[in-house]
Amino acid sequence: MNFFRHTLILSLCICMLNAYAQNDSLKQLNVVEIKATRSLYFSSASKFQVIDSATLERYSNNNLADLLSRESMVFIKSYGLGSLASSSFRGAGSSHTAVLWNGFNLQSSMHGMIDLSLIPANFLNTVQLQFGSASALWGSGAVGGAIHLNNSNTFNKGVSIYSNNSFGSFLDKQQQLSFELSKKRIVSTLKLFNHDAKNDFEFTNRAQYGKPIQRQRNAELKQYGLLQENYIQINQFQLLNTRFWYQYSDRGMPPSMTQNMNVAVQKDESSRFTSEWQLNKNKYSVNVRAAYFDEKLYYEDSLSALFSKSHSQSAIVELETKFSITKYDIINIGVNNTNNTAYTESYNNRYNQNRSSVFASYRLHTLNLKWNALLNIRQEFINNKALPFTSSFGIDGNVLKHFFLKLNVAQHYRIPTFNDLYWVPGGNPNLLPESGWSEDATISYKQALKNVQVELEAAAFNREIKNWVIWQPDVSGIWSPQNVQEVWSRGLEYKLRVDYRTSKWDVQLSGLYNYVLSTNQKSLSTNDVTLYKQLIYVPIQNAQGNFLIQFKGTSVSYNHIYVGYRYTSSDNKNYIKPYSFGNIRVSHDFVFTGAKIKVYTQLNNVFNEQYEIIEYRAMPLLNYQLGLAIYFNEKNK
Amino acid sequence: MKTNKILLLTAFAVGTIFTSCKKDDPEPDPTTPAASTTYDNGVFVTNEGPFGSGTGTLSFISRSGATVYNDIFEARNTFPLGNIVQSMSIHNNKGYIVVNNSGKIEVVDGTSMATSGTITGFTYPRYFLGIDNSKAFVTEWGTGGLVGSVKVVDLTTKTITATITTGKGAENMVKVGNKVFVACGGGFDNDSVVTVIDALTNAVDTTIFVGANPSYIQVDANNNVWVLCKGKQNATWTALEQTGKLVRLNGTSYSTELSLPFSSTSSQPTNLVVNAAKTTLYYNYSGKLYAHAIAATSLNATATINRSFYALGIDPVNDQFYGSDAVDFSSNGKVVRYTSAGVTIDSVTVGVIPGNFYFK
Repeated sequence: MNFFRHTLILSLCICMLNAYAQNDSLKQLNVVEIKATRSLYFSSASKFQVIDSATLERYSNNNLADLLSRESMVFIKSYGLGSLASSSFRGAGSSHTAVLWNGFNLQSSMHGMIDLSLIPANFLNTVQLQFGSASALWGSGAVGGAIHLNNSNTFNKGVSIYSNNSFGSFLDKQQQLSFELSKKRIVSTLKLFNHDAKNDFEFTNRAQYGKPIQRQRNAELKQYGLLQENYIQINQFQLLNTRFWYQYSDRGMPPSMTQNMNVAVQKDESSRFTSEWQLNKNKYSVNVRAAYFDEKLYYEDSLSALFSKSHSQSAIVELETKFSITKYDIINIGVNNTNNTAYTESYNNRYNQNRSSVFASYRLHTLNLKWNALLNIRQEFINNKALPFTSSFGIDGNVLKHFFLKLNVAQHYRIPTFNDLYWVPGGNPNLLPESGWSEDATISYKQALKNVQVELEAAAFNREIKNWVIWQPDVSGIWSPQNVQEVWSRGLEYKLRVDYRTSKWDVQLSGLYNYVLSTNQKSLSTNDVTLYKQLIYVPIQNAQGNFLIQFKGTSVSYNHIYVGYRYTSSDNKNYIKPYSFGNIRVSHDFVFTGAKIKVYTQLNNVFNEQYEIIEYRAMPLLNYQLGLAIYFNEKNK
Repeated sequence: MKTNKILLLTAFAVGTIFTSCKKDDPEPDPTTPAASTTYDNGVFVTNEGPFGSGTGTLSFISRSGATVYNDIFEARNTFPLGNIVQSMSIHNNKGYIVVNNSGKIEVVDGTSMATSGTITGFTYPRYFLGIDNSKAFVTEWGTGGLVGSVKVVDLTTKTITATITTGKGAENMVKVGNKVFVACGGGFDNDSVVTVIDALTNAVDTTIFVGANPSYIQVDANNNVWVLCKGKQNATWTALEQTGKLVRLNGTSYSTELSLPFSSTSSQPTNLVVNAAKTTLYYNYSGKLYAHAIAATSLNATATINRSFYALGIDPVNDQFYGSDAVDFSSNGKVVRYTSAGVTIDSVTVGVIPGNFYFK
């Protein structure tokens, strides 16, 4: 019903605004905006993967967890369709990935994670994955890597309307609607989304007698949200932007195959405001940004009579300036103050934490910018107590014409979460931050011929995390977190990409493969059987292939994922089997009465594989989504 | 020429990727038995299994200690037991395996472990006690672990026929004559009673106040009932506001004959077991194992074994101790055997979080 209503409204708008087609990509990057973040200038020695707007558009009706599990080697630990999904970056834990929305860290102060299934891909313009530790640049939590979620806009584009509606298996219904007003010096956008799904897919319950075919229960979800952004070019040097992101989610918590039932419901509500002012002069730039995040989580389980409410707030202010002393260098100096407050019934009090940091970066480069040397440093204070000093040093450059080399050595840290510090019973206010070093090297080969582009990349990394916090029973049997574990992660990452492009054809082939060992290096008892064993739920092998053909507005893509064994016990005696599955997406673009229209279908798990990411958590077999996106733009007169 | 070079490099890269996909299949567990294995003369160990969505398992250790079989339920029946395996009892040569978070009891043949049905409809069930050929009592914590009860189960139809309300967190049971004593350990809250039920009428006879959170219960040679109370945590969980207690109840008059408080405000006593002659009780306290002769009127200051266990059992055939170690609660646990004098015999690896023993 909604679908037709939206389509109708949209066609009316199209008539009114006198159709005009345009061929630009729906979502474009604003160069000024990207330049303003620290990542570009001072992370060039880190391995990056950029998921561009064209790729994001193919995942317009998916969430960030789906996107990353199919387009990157970040392991996404998902509890099921639409359920909690956390990330493991280079063999680290779920709280060791910094998730930065336009430079602001979204990791929860209470538990250190963020549920990636709650981030709709269509709210983002680019996603950049920064591999390796980057705490000197991004602070606590950037241990395994950082996920940069960026929004940007183009000035003077005119008026645009975008609508995207899809319908899929298990009563999955999604509606998206965006409006954009883009003048010479002001851009204002509004994005809305609504998502309902029953998610009552059928699966074989291998955990019950006779392996019956069952329907997933209590997996319904209802989500809606809005993102409102404003960009103002005050004058040729000054830019101002504001963003407001509100989102509500109401989900059932489906039972695992070994549980009889689950009636729990989780509601997440978040409001996020950010604002940023930039001054870009020839010789220097100044950037002031502020954010306020309000996150609520309600968990209701009538079976275990658990009704818990968590509420946290973060207020972030950051000031930084960039300038050059000579033509061979760039310097960035900044300060950050983050104030976190959180409360849940399991704390004795509403706790507050004030974090302030001073950070600086120095980049030395050759005049042709082929070689860069980078130094980043950061000193953070929590409630006026100094944390370990953090630095990173890197070099990157171009060798032998087609080869690119990156070398990076970095320190990292992660501060204990509020739950670790204050949970009753067990919370340990004396916990130290986790910290350590990481080293990595990336070599890539890039060559572009007339129609063919080839990119090969190999990376190796090494990282240790000391004082890793784990919860274990203390002498009186109460579970309590301690800084006891030491984890050594190392691995190899390969990438291959071939792109063949003519005026009519575009054929892309890419493959990724990771081999990651992440082992416990410290014996906690005599004859500790977990010593030198792989961490649980960290796959040793991961591979992925993507194939795309585009011809005259028709695009067909195939994506294949392989995830190797995951151990489920810390002595590596229990494990779950590898899984692999394929996905197909077909879309066709055409212009109709001036509007750019895309019809698409997404077929997930085309070979009907029964797989589990987490043991006994059912995943759907073959399922589909059908959608229609309409884009209309009228240029400024 | 250039294209050739690129092709060569591509082939090299693809080759590297595929050759590095080395086989690293985990090795099969050699302690997993053949489906046809039978289990006599030994001890069953229920392993709770990892937290979250995993499954618990059942292990079997032969009395000689020579053989350990792990995951014996799934080996026989090709499906796992379920989430949080709590306890096991054998009654009329049928095994009843209580699966806490799955809210069910898996019924098996007591020798072959072949499945013979499932009893469902429980909310956090804990322990099983066979009453007669057709009736059994099952304690459960109920919704939220806040409403304790005993479910009456018809063993022929494998259905729950009645619910008897008890104190919170109904836990271990013992039977003296026709009376069933239910220790009510508080569940996810606190309680301080033993509920006595008439096994013939299913009616509550009386409720006895014993002390904070009584979870463990045993019968001695004189048919008196011993209750071990864990004590009560203060609101901030920093100390015990009521310490643990060992209490003796008269098995017929229900009067409290002896009440021995523990001194520690941090350590809670756990795991009450009794020897074959039912003349000496054993329990864990302050990281050690202590004995208590049933005639003694004060707590023992000298430990029998300088170690505490996650679960404790005593073999009724030879009085050997079986103590379990849950290690890090994520890897396979251990069971250590000791002589009745407390001398270590051997140690074997069982499943994740070994939580209870049943001797056959």
